[in-house]
Amino acid sequence: MNGLGDALWAEARKAAASRVLRTAAVLLVAGVAVLGAALTAAVGAGSEQIAAKLGPLADATGWALLLAVVTQIVAAGALLTFGITLSWSFGREFTDGTINGLFAIPTTRPALVTAKLLVHLAWTALVGLALTVLVAGVGLAIGLGGIDAASAAGLVRLFALTALSGLLATPAAWAATLGRGPMAGVATAVGLIVVAQTAALALPRQGAWLPLAAPAFWALDLNAVTPAQLGLVPLTAVAFGALTARAWNRLQLDR
Amino acid sequence: MPDRLRITGAVRAYGPAAGVLGASLRVREGQIHALVGLNGAGKTTLMRAVLGMIRLDSGAVRIGGVPLDRMPASDWSRVGHLLDRPFAYPELSVRANLEVAARLRGIPAGRAADAVEGALAGLGIARYGRVRAARLSKGNRQRLGLAAALLGDASLLVLDEPTDALDPQGVIALREALRERASRGAGVLVSSHHLDEVARVADRISVMNRGLVIGTLDRDRADLERAFFDLVLEDDRRADRGDRP
Repeated sequence: MNGLGDALWAEARKAAASRVLRTAAVLLVAGVAVLGAALTAAVGAGSEQIAAKLGPLADATGWALLLAVVTQIVAAGALLTFGITLSWSFGREFTDGTINGLFAIPTTRPALVTAKLLVHLAWTALVGLALTVLVAGVGLAIGLGGIDAASAAGLVRLFALTALSGLLATPAAWAATLGRGPMAGVATAVGLIVVAQTAALALPRQGAWLPLAAPAFWALDLNAVTPAQLGLVPLTAVAFGALTARAWNRLQLDR
Repeated sequence: MPDRLRITGAVRAYGPAAGVLGASLRVREGQIHALVGLNGAGKTTLMRAVLGMIRLDSGAVRIGGVPLDRMPASDWSRVGHLLDRPFAYPELSVRANLEVAARLRGIPAGRAADAVEGALAGLGIARYGRVRAARLSKGNRQRLGLAAALLGDASLLVLDEPTDALDPQGVIALREALRERASRGAGVLVSSHHLDEVARVADRISVMNRGLVIGTLDRDRADLERAFFDLVLEDDRRADRGDRP
């Protein structure tokens, strides 16, 4: 793949300067932490309204409650956030008119796609790390006590869920390419969330076979998802990454 | 020495009367070849075909004697281009944009800094080096796009309406840059609506109309505009009669 190193350098440079990525990261990380802390504190203070909204989750207490609440929010919020940012990363080349400059250069377009996806994954991992650290800090700040082994495992799963959500957003890159702009990717990201949430509600047993829903099931209950089911997540990302690379390779600027 | 660029019978039709319908053209070593024509004549479509942005229905494009579909990716490092909008990411500074362009054009990291400095100075935008592209005027964004196209040591330059939005100083800077590249052996294909400017810079002027290259203009002729319209109107009449080649 000609020029992958140069493409990685360029994409990392663009990502580092991107206000879109910075804003999205802050909104997701701060939003999840604040919402998680507020809901946990409200249940702890005996709010029946909030407890009713949280359903069975409200039966948990302390760290288990905070992590369950935050995991629920991240399952949808991270997929939407990463779907939007990945759509922007691919679609903006068309709407900003920079796509012309990505033709007729020694760096191949499949290399550019690979670089975009790798930088996206690195960024989602960083966001996951920041989110996990902030949630741990929030838990300590609202007086949930020290982090025991079970809470630590829950935090690790929260990080993994965030990173896996980054992988699951890959179809948005393909859609943004086919739609020649970010909006098609954003719409796809919303569709992914709807499918994942519907599957989780309608098929609580078989839903884990759906890669879109598997990470959320797994983050809430280790035993609810088999390694094979979880393994479908990176496979899905690779498949849609390959479709995106193919679409860029065959791309014609005729519309 | 093969032509820097050779287009033979290029066809990319968007319906019976739109697109490129059999255009042929050569750009030789050291030649600035201007392509002039009315809006919709097919100039940009032809340039897109040269740069692999669209595939031809039939015909061939050769760069440096190599057919486009057999050109190794690394050979594109010898081609500079600017089509449509400048290659400028709004969130990046002018310098960062050129650094990104240099790396994507395959200029090694060790040589990229010098290449960027040269491009900044050549197009007169060195003082905007730290300014984000989003804050540039249209003319300076065009200068940035041209600087990106002129990075490195291209043997073929393809520029679509490069004087768009440029002030007279920018036009002169571009003219000098193109002449300097041509004097070093590069071939330049440049489209323009400005016949006066074309007459000043081009070695050869081809006229495109309704998807075909229909003739050439003598750059030394006094009334270039009249000669241009004579060619176009004659071709339109032939097209209406249905006896175009």
